[in-house]
Amino acid sequence: MKTVLAIVVLFGMGAIARDVTGAWSGAFKVNGGDHGVQQLILLKQDGVKLSGSAGPDAEEQYPLENGKIEGDHLTFEVTSGEWKFRYHLKRTGADEIKGDLELKSLNNGRSAVISLRRVK
Amino acid sequence: MRRLILRVHLATALIAGAFILVLGVTGSTLAFEPELDRRLHAHLSYVKPSGRVLSLGEIGDAVSRQFNAEPIVAYLPSRSADFSWKVILPRGIVCVNQYTGEILGVRTRGQTILGFAHELHVRLASGDVGRNILRWSGVATLISLASGLYLWWPTKRFRICGCWRSREFWFDLHNSLGVLLWLPLLALAATGTVIAFEDQAADLLGKLTRPVQVRSRQSITRREPAPGAQIITPDEALAIAGAQMPGAIPYRVQMPRYGGAYRVSLDDPGDRVTGGHNLIVIDEYSGGVISSTRSSDLSAAQRILATNEAIHRGDVFGMPTRIVAWLTCVMVPVQVISGLLLWLRGRNSRVAVGKGAL
Repeated sequence: MKTVLAIVVLFGMGAIARDVTGAWSGAFKVNGGDHGVQQLILLKQDGVKLSGSAGPDAEEQYPLENGKIEGDHLTFEVTSGEWKFRYHLKRTGADEIKGDLELKSLNNGRSAVISLRRVK
Repeated sequence: MRRLILRVHLATALIAGAFILVLGVTGSTLAFEPELDRRLHAHLSYVKPSGRVLSLGEIGDAVSRQFNAEPIVAYLPSRSADFSWKVILPRGIVCVNQYTGEILGVRTRGQTILGFAHELHVRLASGDVGRNILRWSGVATLISLASGLYLWWPTKRFRICGCWRSREFWFDLHNSLGVLLWLPLLALAATGTVIAFEDQAADLLGKLTRPVQVRSRQSITRREPAPGAQIITPDEALAIAGAQMPGAIPYRVQMPRYGGAYRVSLDDPGDRVTGGHNLIVIDEYSGGVISSTRSSDLSAAQRILATNEAIHRGDVFGMPTRIVAWLTCVMVPVQVISGLLLWLRGRNSRVAVGKGAL
């Protein structure tokens, strides 16, 4: 019984630790671009669903669309105007997320790498 | 000295010639990119002016009816009466007849042939490696122009003689075209190189000119909206922005759901270079102006960089300079190929002479 309880507690703690809810900041750099672009992403996890917002700072935020989380993999989209951002991220540590970003606008498509850390 | 300069001219052309050719071909496409884009999507781009222009609210209603109330990201009023207005949705960009509310169609995001030309022009469509190659190709073009002028100066040859198969013809063509294009090509290559090294250029300009932080002319402290407070309509936001900058033409109204406030971009028709750098940010509940950034508030460094870009695009004096930029780009491949033919023919004749001597 104690073993079962320990496993349940451990899994419960794991689930809490895996929750990505919170603020994440970092930058993305477009392949072939000059510099990094600041990012502040506010995530809310509800099971496998992800919602929240993303943008360059707290003042300018855009809603997350089609957000989901499967294991360590997070995917979501953000429309900031002409540009659509598709995030393909992986949680690489308790407070670290890395991944790729597809950027698409009218006539243009680019890719970028992104690295985020949890804001404490 | 002349021999050394000739070697430099040849070496830069042989190393960077192919990339300079790509810059020329893609540049000639991009010189008229907006016009080409409209021609390629003529049924979505052009409307017949008739009657009054609908309000943003009416246009938004027409779009919402057609697309199941999908949230509107932004409105893009056109700057010409016979170009359609655009409404940005998460799914794509909806083209609307602003006189009738008719939905002309939706353009989806993603790379097209024009976007690919742009990618080739900026980074050879191959990321950081391509970007660096093209950066240094710009520098190579400048070296080639300087050495070319040095080589041309003693003879000042400006004529085209001989049959097109003769070396003389290609020599004359290379010389005459080189001199004819020298100034516009120098302008395009120099401004393109500054754009390619824009971060470094901005740092340098920031040090040379006193960096001025762009200040908002007017600002309010945002407060939490009262319970049940209604947001103002995009038309009201547009009117507030218009009152801030009389005479300016609005070309973008971003909705508060996307970015946290109404963001209205306006074009000052009197300022061809930086006239589009006007942004009024409006609180969606009170209608108060949160910030107002004007093109006249740009720092000297920002103004220099904007002017540099306008020269590179050919926009600086409108259509005449765009035509000059286009013609120059069209002629770049001719210049590269004539130079290559000259080198090949000279090399072949040297080999023949060498073989004869043996």
